[in-house]
Parts: sequence; C-alpha cells; structure tokens
Amino acid sequence: MNRLRALPRAHLIAGLCLVALLMYPVVNPWEPYPQAVLLLGFLLAIQASSWNIISGYGGYTSLGHSMFLGLGSYTAGILALRWGVNPLWVAPLGGVTALVIAVLIGSVVLRTRGHAFVIITIAMLLAAQIIATNFQSLTQGSDGITLELPFWGRDFQNIPFYYIFLSLLVLTVLFSAWLRRTKFGAGLVAIREDEGKAASIGVNTTRFKIVAYAASAFMIGTAGGVYAYYLTFINPIGSFAILGSVLIVLATLTGGRGTLYGPVIGAFIVNLVSEAATVYGGGSQSRVLIFGLALMLVVLFLPKGILPTVEAWCRRRHPAEVEYTDQAGALNRGPVTTRERPLPEVVAAGVADEGARRPGSGDDPPLLDVRGVSKRFGGLTAVDGADLTVRQGTITALIGPNGSGKTTLFNLITGGMAADSGEIWFDGRRIDGMRPWKRGHLGLGRTYQVTRLFKEMTVQQNVVAPLPDSRWRTMLSDAVHGHEADRARELLDIVGLGRMADQPAGSLSFGQQKLVELAQVLMLQPKLILLDEPAGGVNPSLLGRLTEVIRELNAAGVTFLIVEHNIPLVLELCDPVVVFSHGAPIAEGPPERIQADPVVLDAYLGDDWRPAATDPPAHHSPGTATGEVVR
Amino acid sequence: MAQLTQAIALGLLIGGVYALMASGLTLIFGVMHIINVAQGAFLVLMAMVTWWLWHETGIDPILASVITTPLMFAFGWVAYRLLISRVRGSSPSMSILLTFGFAMVIEGVLNVTAGNKFKSATPSYFEESFRVGSISLPKAQVFGFLAAMGILGVLFFVLTRTWTGRAIRAATQNPSGAALVGVGASGTAALAFAIGSATTGVGGSILSVLYPFFPASHYDWISRLLGIVVLGGMGSLPGALIGAGILGLAETLTATYGSLSWSTLVFYIVIMVVLLVRPQGLFGARLREDVT
Repeated sequence: MNRLRALPRAHLIAGLCLVALLMYPVVNPWEPYPQAVLLLGFLLAIQASSWNIISGYGGYTSLGHSMFLGLGSYTAGILALRWGVNPLWVAPLGGVTALVIAVLIGSVVLRTRGHAFVIITIAMLLAAQIIATNFQSLTQGSDGITLELPFWGRDFQNIPFYYIFLSLLVLTVLFSAWLRRTKFGAGLVAIREDEGKAASIGVNTTRFKIVAYAASAFMIGTAGGVYAYYLTFINPIGSFAILGSVLIVLATLTGGRGTLYGPVIGAFIVNLVSEAATVYGGGSQSRVLIFGLALMLVVLFLPKGILPTVEAWCRRRHPAEVEYTDQAGALNRGPVTTRERPLPEVVAAGVADEGARRPGSGDDPPLLDVRGVSKRFGGLTAVDGADLTVRQGTITALIGPNGSGKTTLFNLITGGMAADSGEIWFDGRRIDGMRPWKRGHLGLGRTYQVTRLFKEMTVQQNVVAPLPDSRWRTMLSDAVHGHEADRARELLDIVGLGRMADQPAGSLSFGQQKLVELAQVLMLQPKLILLDEPAGGVNPSLLGRLTEVIRELNAAGVTFLIVEHNIPLVLELCDPVVVFSHGAPIAEGPPERIQADPVVLDAYLGDDWRPAATDPPAHHSPGTATGEVVR
Repeated sequence: MAQLTQAIALGLLIGGVYALMASGLTLIFGVMHIINVAQGAFLVLMAMVTWWLWHETGIDPILASVITTPLMFAFGWVAYRLLISRVRGSSPSMSILLTFGFAMVIEGVLNVTAGNKFKSATPSYFEESFRVGSISLPKAQVFGFLAAMGILGVLFFVLTRTWTGRAIRAATQNPSGAALVGVGASGTAALAFAIGSATTGVGGSILSVLYPFFPASHYDWISRLLGIVVLGGMGSLPGALIGAGILGLAETLTATYGSLSWSTLVFYIVIMVVLLVRPQGLFGARLREDVT
C-alpha cells in the first residue's frame, strides 16, 4: 500500500517541477544566466537518464557515454554544412548515428559478461576523439566546425533552446519510465542482479543488453545535434570530453542509479556544483580535481544515491505490515491451469502425441534425451558419459549421493555450462549448442538448489521477468498491468504468495523463495521443469501443496525431472526413479524396485558398507573411495 | 629492409617497457579482479616526480626509479588500505569508478601543482644512439628497455621463487582455498596492489625520458595498458608480456608506414578485434562463471 501511495506522489512532484520549469522563461525572460544554467542541467539530465537505461537498469557501466553527444553533434554539424540545412532538422539523425554506433559496439562487446564493456566504452570515447582529430576531410580536424547562428531574432535569446532541451528531457524520462514498466525493463534489472539466472528464464541477455545500449544512445545523440547548434561550434576535444562522461556517471550515482527520477535530480545537483566550481573554484583547471574527488566520495559514502537512501529512510519510518504466506488460500485453490504454449514452428506432432499419452508408461516418447554427456572440472569428472532419458508426461526423479553430479547435469541441460562431450536432445531438437534462453523458449525451465531470485526486485517483478519466447511483442509488453502481470499474480496465488507480490524478493524466507522460483518457472510455460531439491526448506503442509501442484501440472501435460533428497517424497511422487553415482546413472526403474536395489544401497552407503555390528571401523576410515554416507 | 628492421627493433624495445607497465595492471586484476584505471595516472605521477628530481638534482631519470619504485610501493599499499579495500565485495563497476575518480584526482593535483604543460626529461644521452649495423638504437630506449627487463625479472623471481609470490599466485587462483591454508586474502591483496603500483614507479621514470607527458596523458597510457592486457588475457602475466610485444611492434610499424597520428588508434582497434574473436585474450582462461 505504501508503495502505491508513494508512486503517484513522485509523479505529482515531477509534474509540478515541470510546470515551474515551463513557466520560468515566461515569468522571468530577461535573465539569460539562470536560463543557461537550467538548460545545461536539462542536457545533463537527458544524458544521465539515458545512461541509466544501460548502466542503472542493466548494470553495465559505461564510462564513455559522452561519445554519443559528440557523435550527434558531428552528425548534425556535418550534415547541416553539406546539405545546407538548419542543424535542428538533422538533429534526430544524430540520434540515429549514435544508435547505429551503439549497436555496432554493443554487438561486439556485449556478447560476453564482465569487465570488457567498461574498458571498451572508455577506449571508444578516446578513439572517437582521435578519429575526429585526424579524419580532417570529414571533420575539419582540430580546427572544428563552425555552424550558422540561430535563425530566430536576438530578442528570443536562448529561450527556444531552453524549450527544446526541456522537451527532450521530458521525452527521455517518459521513454525510460515506459521501458522500466515493460518485460524488457524487468529483464534488464534481472541481468543486473544475476545474469546467468536471467538467461535460464528465457531472457536473451545479449539482445537485451545491445538494445538497452542503443536505447541509451539515441536521445543523447539527438540532444548532441541540438547542442552543436546551441554552441554553433564543435571540435574534437569539446565533443568527446572525458569529463562530460564523468559528469553523467556522477549525476546518476548521486541521484540514484536504477531509479526513474534519480538521474534527473542528480543532474541538477551536479550541474549546480559544476557552475559553482567554474565561478568560485578557479576555472577549469580545478574542475578535474573537484569532480574526481566527488566521484570518489560518492562511490565510497553514497553508493546507492540520494533517492534510494531517502526511500529506505522513509520505509524505516513507516514500516509496512508484514505479510505471511497465504497457506490457507493456497491450499484451498482449485486445480492449476496451464496456459497453452504458442507453438511456433515444430512440434505439431508432439501435441498430437500428447492426446494419446498414457502417463508413466515405458513407451512414451522421450522428451529429454541425454546421450553420453561428460563434464570435467580440471581433474574432477563431475559428469561421466551420462545417459538419461526423460519420457513425456512422467515425473522422473534423479537421486544420488551429494557430489554425484546431479546439479552439474542440470546445468548442462539448461545451458548454464557447456558439456565437454555428448549430445542433449529436447523435444526432437539437439540443444547442447544452444544459448540458455533459447532452451527456455523451447519449453525448458529449472529451479535452483539455492534459490537465485533477483533479490532487489519485488516478488511480482521476479515472476513477470521470464520470457516464454523471443518475440519483440512479448519483450515490450507491459509487466505492471496487462495480461503478463495478471498471469504472474495468478501463479503467485497458486503458490500462496499473492499477498507478498510487492515485497522485495530478498526479504522472503528461503522456503518462500523456493515457491516464488517455481512460480517464476511456470511463467515460461515449460514442457519440462527441472526441479533442484524443491522440498528443501519448505514446511510440511506447504510441501503437501507443492506435490499437489506438481501433480496437477503433470496432469496438464508438464513433464518433471526432480533432484531430491527427501526419499519418501520421491517414492510417493515420482516414476521412474534414476539413481546417479560418480557422474553417471547406475540404476533406473519404478520406485518399488529402486528401493530394494542392492546397487543403490551401495551407492548411498559406500562401497564397503557393512552393517555396523559386524564392521564398526568402517566409520573411522576417512580414506575410503566414496566418503558420502547418508546417515 | 633497413627501415623494417629498424621499426621491429624499436617496437621490441618499446614493447619491453610496455610489458613492465602492463604487468602491474594484470597482476592487480589477477589477484583482486579490480581494474585499476588509475594505473595510467600513477605512471604520469611518477614521470612527473622523476622529471622534478632530474630537474632539481640532475639525477639520471632512469636511475631515479630507485626512489620512485619504493615510493609507489608504499603509495599503493596505503591506497589499498584506505580506498580500494572499501569497495571490495561491491560490484566491479564501483571499483572501476573509484579508481577512475582517483585517476582524475591525481590528474587534477598535477594540473594545479605542475601546470598543464608538456614535460620531458632530457638527460645527456637523450639524443645519442647505439649503432648496430644499419640500425640505430636510441640510448634512452635501450636503457629504458634494460631497466624494464631487470625489474620484470625481479618480479618473476618474487612471484615464482618466494613464499610471498606463491601466496599471491595462490590467492589469484583460488582465494578461499588460499585462505584455508593460511594465506589471508586481505593482506595478499594489499601486497599485490602495492607490487602492482610499484611497477609504475620504474615505469614512470622510464616514461619521463621516452615520451613527453602532461597531466591528462594518463588516458593515453591507461588505454595502451588496457589494450595490452585485454590482448594478452586479463590477469595473465605471460599474456601481458606477449601482448606488450605485439602492440609495441604494431604501434611502431603503423608509425613507420602509416602516420604517427593514427598509431595510437592501433590499441583501440586491437581491443575491439580481440574482444570480437577471442574475448578471453591470448592467454586468458575461461573461468567457471556459473557456480550454483
């Protein structure tokens, strides 16, 4: 409730500020200096809000974002000279140039995770400066390009620029707000929080990052075109300034990275400091020193930024009511309904088969087929030539001692890791070379042994983040209202957590997180769900509900592969049961047979296990081949 | 032909100096997964100190590394304890932003104290050369190369033959394992940061003779070093050596056959191409990113 009331208030304040800024030049038209300060504030806010899309939502820090301002300036400047048109008309083309360059750089760098991106962004900014200096036939080198003066009369001063930049700022903030509400925005935050997990729930991380980078470049490029006209002069040093990039980063960090209004607030603060530094601080020499210090101080002492810090303080002042798991609600719900998957290309045959399916029988078609898969970590062979078949419509269990390679096998199947050898087939397709999200789109979902929710997102956002297909329409659909959000709420009700939809996922207990993760996977509309220890940490009555949900989903056509140490649960729920030991299956069959199989007992209790009465020293020999003993 | 040999010889000489400068950056990254963006600023700072020492006392600039190297070791240690250790454990971008801010502070301090002008130390042998057959090797380049190789040799010795070095390498490969056998992560990290910074002491002294510099030159230097480290594989010391050799050659060859003004661009092109073709670099290992 608190959030609901807080949100419109923020928008209300923003609206009032906007009205005040719109009125200002009308009320006070003969003060060019405050107008210029505000105008530069708008420009910085446009850049900071844009930067926030890739670096705040997406978590990939760019240290060279002022490059896009320079690219926009040069595009507009050069085209205006060549075509003899006013720079304002070609300013959007500056945005297009920025967008194209961002896509090019992004598709090289953003394919991988980690540090490369930030290095590249600095390098590209410096490279752009060198190119602009040396490519004289195009850019007139370090002499720079001089543009025509504004076409309006001197009486208007810079007021038209004031309104242009203000409009661009409003557009940027609206754009950012819209993006944040879509599944694309949720996916970006998911990438920031846990990129591997994001990929496993169908988020095409590469595409998301490139689109975010491009989206963060466009408005800056357009603003750069206008800025060139405002300055009527562009040169390499001014257009591709490192200090400009630092101001963008500083503004967003100060205001609150990843928030909607934080970058705007930060931009006005930084811009005021910047003005003060120019007026009182001894000119541009000391600016580098001042902003360097400011950056260090913000990183060390205000890493979250002003807005989130204030919000956290407010929340402490007005604590929200704690909501508990709605056990009664969950237990009283009717059977789970599944959504029909939109089946894109193949598997018309698979659907036909499903009608004639007899659950659990041995001649069901295989849905998942693992053939001779191996994975080594240095000298340790975690999975060793494993074969495993999961037949359509079954609830297959995978049991085995700790360290026998079950979770690694899960990782290989879902694509978190690449197998060293062997093939994996899913639903008639070979998937072992596919990226994780592609496997998710085919209908493969998983949960984790130790839950991997996006802790800073709300429960609702967590559940709405998965993408069942790779269509742009799904990606840009509304994650806050609309059918995707409705489906998410419905799934949360199924696991009894509907009341907690607006809580941050990190505040939930472990068992609750397990349930949210199950709801999250269901959002993928999977054909096969891999559950890694679903019962761990879930209380007995909810566990009953959980098995019920699994059964209902199974009856609706979803196949399960479950790793679980709760043997009674396995024996009750699953058929067949596969026993894993030393990286490969050693037995498979219906639960009754597995229960009595001597090979299985050996695997669980150690090769040299004897009844304690006859051979007590066995407990005291740590050097035995298999150290895992289930007590 | 003579021109080519000349270019290759110069490229290798300069590559040796680059290797030393990049080794500090890659060492720090290897141990704590922090990209010290201030490494370039450290270099320029030490070049400025060397220049000042040379200007005031007439001491040989390359010999001044006897002073600058321990100075940077201490500076690195203190910087780690006061600043870097505070952002360990938070997201990698925070450490990059912190060291970036640090670099700007150093640049700003140099701007205010030493002025925004190009400087260069010019000892007596500055314009003399050794002649080997048809090629001439400037004495400054040769001395710089020798000093760099000497320090690199010491660094290799420390890393491979001493307990300290083994501790650092252990912490690079497996921090929790190293902690279990008594190698504290924090102390090792401080040591690695101090050693990594110390390389910029001698590196900066050599720089002051070989290149004109001014406070903002640190951006050029950090891009060069990052290019080398990305090419060789982040965190790999042999990779840094090979990467430095290749980029030294590429830069001199571009300057000889292309134009001087474009030669700096070589580094950026190399970074892009490497990331496109082989993101982990020449010697970088693909580590397990996904531990669940």
